[in-house]
Amino acid sequence: MQAGSSGVGYGLKYQARCISDVKADTDHTSFLAGTLSLREENEVHLIRLSADGTELICEGLFSHPNEIWDLRSCPFDQRIFTTVYSTGESYGAAVWQIPELYGQLNSPQLERVALLDAHVSKIKCVLWWPSGRNDKLVSIDEENLFLWSLDSSKKAAQVQSKESAGTMHYLSGGAWDPHDVNSIAATCESSVQFWDLRTMTKTSSIDVSHVRTIDYDTKKDHILVTAEDETGIHIWDLRKTKVPIRELPGHTHWTWAVACNPEYDGLILSGGTDSAVNLWLAPTGSRDEITSDSGQNSLSLKVDPLVNSYTDYEDSVYGLAWSSREPWIFASLSYDGRVVVESVKPYLSRK
Amino acid sequence: MEMEDPPLDDKARRMRDLLSSFYAPDPSMSAGSQPKGASFDNIDTDSFDADQYMNLLVQKANLEGLLQRHVEMAAEIKNLDTDLQMLVYENYNKFISATDAIKRMKSNIVGMESNMEQLLDKIMSVQSRSDGVNTSLFGKREHIEKLHRTRNLLRKVQVFNAIAHPRVVFYGKEQFIYDLPARLGKCIKTEAYADAVRFYTGAMPIFKAYGESSFQDCKRASEEAVVTITKNLQGKLFSDSESIQTRAEAAVLLKQLDFPVDGLKVRLFEKLEQSMGDLQVKIGDIAGALEESNDEHENNLQLGFSVPHDASVREFVEAVRAYRIIFPDSESQLIKLSEDLITKHFLTTEQYMKERVSTATFLRVLRIIWNDVLVIDEVLPEGLLHDYCFKVSQSAVKQYFSSTFSHLLQDVSDALMNVHVKPKDVSEEHHLQVALESGKNSLLKGSMDLLLGLRQLLEDNLDLLVKLRELMTDWVQAGFQQFFEALDTRFLLLSGRNKLSSQGQSPREGLQSEKVICGLVLVLAQLSVFVEQTAIPRITEARTEMAASFSGSGARGYEHGPFFLPAEICRVFRSASEKFLHHYINMRAYRISVLLRKRFTTPNWVKHKEPREVHMFVDLFLQEESVVTTIIKLGLKSLQEFVRLQTLNRSGFQQIQLDIQFLRTPLKELAEDEAAIDFLLDEVIVGASDRCLDPTPLEPPILDKLIQAKTAETREQNSSAASSTTQQRL
Repeated sequence: MQAGSSGVGYGLKYQARCISDVKADTDHTSFLAGTLSLREENEVHLIRLSADGTELICEGLFSHPNEIWDLRSCPFDQRIFTTVYSTGESYGAAVWQIPELYGQLNSPQLERVALLDAHVSKIKCVLWWPSGRNDKLVSIDEENLFLWSLDSSKKAAQVQSKESAGTMHYLSGGAWDPHDVNSIAATCESSVQFWDLRTMTKTSSIDVSHVRTIDYDTKKDHILVTAEDETGIHIWDLRKTKVPIRELPGHTHWTWAVACNPEYDGLILSGGTDSAVNLWLAPTGSRDEITSDSGQNSLSLKVDPLVNSYTDYEDSVYGLAWSSREPWIFASLSYDGRVVVESVKPYLSRK
Repeated sequence: MEMEDPPLDDKARRMRDLLSSFYAPDPSMSAGSQPKGASFDNIDTDSFDADQYMNLLVQKANLEGLLQRHVEMAAEIKNLDTDLQMLVYENYNKFISATDAIKRMKSNIVGMESNMEQLLDKIMSVQSRSDGVNTSLFGKREHIEKLHRTRNLLRKVQVFNAIAHPRVVFYGKEQFIYDLPARLGKCIKTEAYADAVRFYTGAMPIFKAYGESSFQDCKRASEEAVVTITKNLQGKLFSDSESIQTRAEAAVLLKQLDFPVDGLKVRLFEKLEQSMGDLQVKIGDIAGALEESNDEHENNLQLGFSVPHDASVREFVEAVRAYRIIFPDSESQLIKLSEDLITKHFLTTEQYMKERVSTATFLRVLRIIWNDVLVIDEVLPEGLLHDYCFKVSQSAVKQYFSSTFSHLLQDVSDALMNVHVKPKDVSEEHHLQVALESGKNSLLKGSMDLLLGLRQLLEDNLDLLVKLRELMTDWVQAGFQQFFEALDTRFLLLSGRNKLSSQGQSPREGLQSEKVICGLVLVLAQLSVFVEQTAIPRITEARTEMAASFSGSGARGYEHGPFFLPAEICRVFRSASEKFLHHYINMRAYRISVLLRKRFTTPNWVKHKEPREVHMFVDLFLQEESVVTTIIKLGLKSLQEFVRLQTLNRSGFQQIQLDIQFLRTPLKELAEDEAAIDFLLDEVIVGASDRCLDPTPLEPPILDKLIQAKTAETREQNSSAASSTTQQRL
């Protein structure tokens, strides 16, 4: 139990897994969260943190046709986001737009910009390029990788290219390299694969199994963080993929989600099925130190990398998002539908 | 009255006085004794006045006196008359005799001159003859004097030779010198060079003094012989077939012959260095001998006897001694050489210690080395070789301990690594038990052996070890500390937890050997507990016992550095055991996860068929032996998470309901915390119903029936072929 329970809470009506930072909203710190209810009507909540940071306000509530398994806000247009949803029997993915005058409407409907309907197997996620305007989308299902070209004005998305991950490789998720618009990482059962989107070929891979989530370090090139079910968190230098450069213990049960802070080097959040969120500080040092490792590295290993553990949750934490506007603030979402926004400022002073 | 009977002597004396006064040149001399006062009345003086005397006398004396005086006077006069008569006579007599003598002299002196001339002639002739002899003998005399000096010299030489060689004493000097070339020749033939050199050097002063004259030929011949000798001696010195001793002798002889030996010195030294090769301690042989040796040999061996080695050391020492004699200024060089030898001894020892070396062997090697040191010390006392040896031996002894410790570490880790090779007909549990026991045994036995070895070394009275006692105790203490620290690291490495340090091994390889390691991790946890609770107390106890028997050691020295801190080690291993247990649980949970993942990702849960039986994954779930509460909890949590990821139709939900219902009973039997298990099982069902489109549960009768069928089946399987189920794995 953290001291004072500084978090600001917000309840979704149903169980939920997905929360996303609305990066394009530069005026407010806001998040999008989608519910996961099999039998009820699902919703997407637009949540805004009040200016004084003490309250979470529902800025918009939109019904969504199916339960949401993945939700990503568009990094350059605050009104656009993608979802991956399931009807129970089938899966779908779509690009949505929040209606302009949603505040005045009684029960505003989401406008569907595009349907990413080329998938045949279970869709896992849809990715935006995190670093800026890019009219491409990547969607990943269990077997294939799709590159879409999105034309929001025409309200259409077209498959630009598609490639199979290969038999026996069930893809489970992925991340788009913020430093390289042509490179994405996709997770599968026993490895993390790296793809070049120009040629749609696999360039390399890391042997690591049961990865739940991966996240690129937005500040530092070549650094990738993986969260694995049993073995915790690993930090990799993509130029030396045999052995991770750091290993963090993770959670008592599975480590589900992981997110690198967009501003502070080595500040990593992780959410686990042990109903906890852990804040880690694991700086990877400068490039020279990474390649030479030894001294500095082993010294930093001795310092406990766990900065704080937020344990005030009642169910598994699946959703995590740093605010890019106020990078010391993050939102977490536990399965019971509770959104908690916390500030890590008290712990940053240690740094 | 006195005059009446004067003695004859008186008479003669008076006569002589009278004569002398008569002839005396000064009359006053004779009258000097007269009293001065009675000058006028003393009759014997010139101033005597007879009348006055008479008058005085008449006036003074009476008649009787006068008469008396008269009588006296008459007697005196009479005496004077006699004397005078006698004097005249005597005078005359003397005159006659003088005349006679003059007469005789006159006759004798005639003819004397001719005799004198004759004498002069004769003396002259003697003089001339003497001169002739002198001149004719002069040359000879010179020669004689020279010969005399030579003779003296030769006498000295003979004395010298008598000291050097008693036989020579009997030779005359000339003969010795003249014989020299022949003698030298003989010596060359018999190779008695030492004699030859002695003869030659004995003769050298003579040759120096007379080489140009008397013994010229001799000298030349001798020198020729000596050239031959020199050549032969050099040949000897440079010949590899000759022993060092002989060569050393040759060098001495050459030096005596004033041959420049510095070049030879270098060569001889090299030879000496080469001979060191034979001196190397052959520990392999020693160890072999020790192993083979029976009791009767043992004593012999333990006392440090090694015939061939001893012999070569003796030889070396002799060579050093000889070398020192030949080259007196070579001490530092020889000391250096001996130090090198000792250093090499220890280097070899250290080399051997990479293999296992028993304390007995080690002790014996130390003895041999120490023996060598003592023997060399005798020849080179200035070298203080024992001090040097003491210094060098420290590192060897230290290394002995450190290598023993590293072997111990290897033993323990080997025992544990045996887990990976599991014989087929042995159950895993038993196999792990065996590994655990052998790990415990090698740890405890190794530690005790080490302490025993230390004790053996401490109790030994070898000077070297006596000096090292305190240091050895300290080393073992520090050694234990380091050993346990290393053991902790090794355990961590074996557990596979430390992936970062085991470079090159990819996580995938780690996962493949996961199953074997899983058991190993449990063994490691147990072993850590053993270290904390048994091994450390035992070692501490043994150590304290020893410290008590060797007062002064053990108790001291804690301020010197990282010594054995049992409490710290205990703490380390306690935390390690917890870590390993945790790791073990994680690994088990991981295996369950894998199992569940297969179970839940394979079927299409939305199109699940009506449940007909309990799904077989429950068997596999229950088969996970040593399933403890924590693992069950983690497994059930994983089960819940997997369920949450699915979408189920009614049948799918019922299937899960059925499976979970079946698991309730056996899981509660296995786990301690029933309430928690119940709760988690319920959570799975809640999760499943959340993810179900139509969560209608199975009717209780059907549920019971299916569960009973499964229970019966399980019982049957257990009774018929318990072992076959164990083999039925994923």
